[in-house]
Amino acid sequence: MTRFVLNRLLLGVVLLWLVVTVVFLALHAVPGDPAAILLGSEGSGAVTPEALARVRSQLGLDKPILVQYSDYLAGLVRMDFGTSFRSADIQVLSYIGDRLPKTLELVLMAALIAVVVGIPTGALAARIGGLADTVISSLTTLGISMPVYVIGTVFVLVFSLQMGWFPAGGYTAIEANPSAHFMRLVLPAIALSFGITSVVARMTRSAVLETVAQDWVRTARSQGLPRSVVFRRHVIRNSLNPVVTTLGLEIGSLLGSTVLIERVFTWPGMGSLLVDSVNSRDYPMVQGIVIVIAALFILINLIVDILYGVLDPRARR
Amino acid sequence: MASRPRRWISTLGAFGAALALVLTGCSNTAAPKPTASNSTAPELKIGLSADVPDLKPSRDQGAAAMMLDTMIHRGLLGYDAKGQVVPALAESFKASADNKSFTFKLRKDLKFSDGSALTSANVKKTLEFLATSSSGAKIGATMSQLASVDTPDEQTAVVNLKNANVAFPSYLADTTAAILPDKSFGAQGTSWEGAGPFKLDKTQKGVSFTFSKNPNFYDASNVNFDKATVTVYADGQARLNALLAGDVHLIDFVPWESFDRVKQDANLTLDPQSGPWMYLHFNVAKGGPLANEKVRQAIALAVNRENVAKAAFSGQASVVAGAPISESSPFYNAQLAQGWKQDVAKAKQLMAEAGYANGFDAVLLTSSQYAFHQDTALSVQPDLAAIGIRTTLDSGDWATRQQKAAEGRYDIAVAGSAGVVNDPSFLVNFVTGPAANNRSYGFDDPKLDDLLNKGLQAATDADRKAVYDQVQERIIQTVPFASLVGRSQAFAYSKKLSGFANIPGFLTFESGYTLVGARLQA
Repeated sequence: MTRFVLNRLLLGVVLLWLVVTVVFLALHAVPGDPAAILLGSEGSGAVTPEALARVRSQLGLDKPILVQYSDYLAGLVRMDFGTSFRSADIQVLSYIGDRLPKTLELVLMAALIAVVVGIPTGALAARIGGLADTVISSLTTLGISMPVYVIGTVFVLVFSLQMGWFPAGGYTAIEANPSAHFMRLVLPAIALSFGITSVVARMTRSAVLETVAQDWVRTARSQGLPRSVVFRRHVIRNSLNPVVTTLGLEIGSLLGSTVLIERVFTWPGMGSLLVDSVNSRDYPMVQGIVIVIAALFILINLIVDILYGVLDPRARR
Repeated sequence: MASRPRRWISTLGAFGAALALVLTGCSNTAAPKPTASNSTAPELKIGLSADVPDLKPSRDQGAAAMMLDTMIHRGLLGYDAKGQVVPALAESFKASADNKSFTFKLRKDLKFSDGSALTSANVKKTLEFLATSSSGAKIGATMSQLASVDTPDEQTAVVNLKNANVAFPSYLADTTAAILPDKSFGAQGTSWEGAGPFKLDKTQKGVSFTFSKNPNFYDASNVNFDKATVTVYADGQARLNALLAGDVHLIDFVPWESFDRVKQDANLTLDPQSGPWMYLHFNVAKGGPLANEKVRQAIALAVNRENVAKAAFSGQASVVAGAPISESSPFYNAQLAQGWKQDVAKAKQLMAEAGYANGFDAVLLTSSQYAFHQDTALSVQPDLAAIGIRTTLDSGDWATRQQKAAEGRYDIAVAGSAGVVNDPSFLVNFVTGPAANNRSYGFDDPKLDDLLNKGLQAATDADRKAVYDQVQERIIQTVPFASLVGRSQAFAYSKKLSGFANIPGFLTFESGYTLVGARLQA
């Protein structure tokens, strides 16, 4: 197992280098001058060539691209991700460190809802069948197909503006006011969880139906084990491998795709930071975020592989 | 080992249950909905349209940054609610007869928010910084005419210009001319400390800014909020929701499609003004049809501006068929304001006279990042087709649009912008200067430049009016840009907030000045 983990980690480092290189080159290849963006918006103020040259020099953009690339890689080795183009006071790594927990909180809360709601619901649909199966399958289809921003907007309309149960958006730090923090977390987390919960429920249902049809289930029943015990102790457990895989992949995807829900609820996570940074051509920030997301994706997949071993000892061999 | 997965699932279940309890508990114990109506403390809550990672008053051109600038900083002059220049840090000012020298008398005992003294030396240093071409100052073109700043005493600053500029006080009233503490110059003009009505207490990066009243502000007795919180709501609908839910008292940039929604709410005020203007600009450097002024005139006459207002701004925009000079301006000329009134037949005739009766192909540059830019392009596309100009849309993100426009990689471009000041002297930035992303590429009209220069030097208002009439006539003839609409820029706020006003015209972005004197009813 240790060798397996080390191999995966080494592969992860190589993957990260590839990601860094591709993102670096892609950012420099697309049009859009960070200095021009910094110096002007829609305003009509004069932007002189001297000012542009000065800002480019301050940002290091006047150096040859290979020098910029090697400087950046050297910084990464020292865990120096640089400073944001938008403010010299913003260290990329610490800023991401500030935003990442907010996105992780949202994603993990959505994943938790997916596990707590999705697995029992999927298992229930498979076990009971009939009308319950039809209803649950229809709901999960709806959950998968409905865009998250629609769900979020409807939530705001109903639960904030109409009923007044929750704030319409925004963020309060947990240390400042735990109650206000959770009140602002509930709606975006539930809205974000709709898709992943539906996926988990459908995957659980399929896996359970497949497992139930196995010969060993009939054997267990014929040996006198009650149906509920067989289902709970053996069927569910043996159905979870594909569910865990799916969950891992979905969590990874959510990390990079929370942007819509962050916009709707003004949740200051990493998704919206990534979009803003791309729009303003904040190269160091974009690169930093992509590296962190890639690293997390690799880590989640590693955890999923390890969980295989926990759920199915054969996988450890 | 057999029990491990079960424990894992049980643990998850228990955690989920605990979380549900916590959430339920929160829900049960939650305070009443935080509405503006039950706010009794003099704390103002503002919903802002964008984050401001760095505050550089000299460069700031966006609405969000300028709102913070008006809260933290002050210059020698400012604007009142009607857009008139009023004294700020300067108690009074006087222009010389030739409008080349301006003497500012500072108020007594001025201080920055950190308690350090603000004297004429700070004024001198700030104005000299703004005049440096590499500073990137928004009013750099105006400040490039700075000859010297004399400081005969700590309370007096005499600003000497190389050429006369009767509109100079207007430029100094802009937030960009905030007087900065010395330490900001070491940080390329970044300054979160100033001499404005508020001081920044705390920033939650990307989330909010918390301010308290600056006791050192010269007009502190007129600041009726002990505290102000500015929260960033980048999404227009989310910002509006925050206002509707009572989470904030005031928001900027009300989405155009939501104007009616706000008007219908008895507890809210919609405060719109015709602000930035949309226009087309051209690449005349290629030497093709767009270098011919008759073709540009044809384009200006062909576009249906009412359609642009409806398609891109939900009808919340006014037609601009000449130079963008507000009706409220003393330089407004009703006849010239209709100089490009839609006339497709005349447009076709001009195309024929220019030798392009069969039209031509062109790239129409816009940006998909802002729906109103793209919708403006889509709206004018069939108008151009009607006179034979077959356009292909080039619609990238904003950064791409800006770079292509600055490099002349387009034929016709959609743009939106605002003058630095309401005074028509602002037009100079749209007709002359080095290549820029907001004006026609390669356009050069020395006669127009000369007229604009005369406008700054005219001795009397009547003389200025005559010169700016000629400027407008010249613009209609040479078409350095083809105006489309003046888009409505609105604030929305609780009816309990009084005294705040959306300053007319391009000065809408300076409206934060009116927070001084504003108050919230209990």
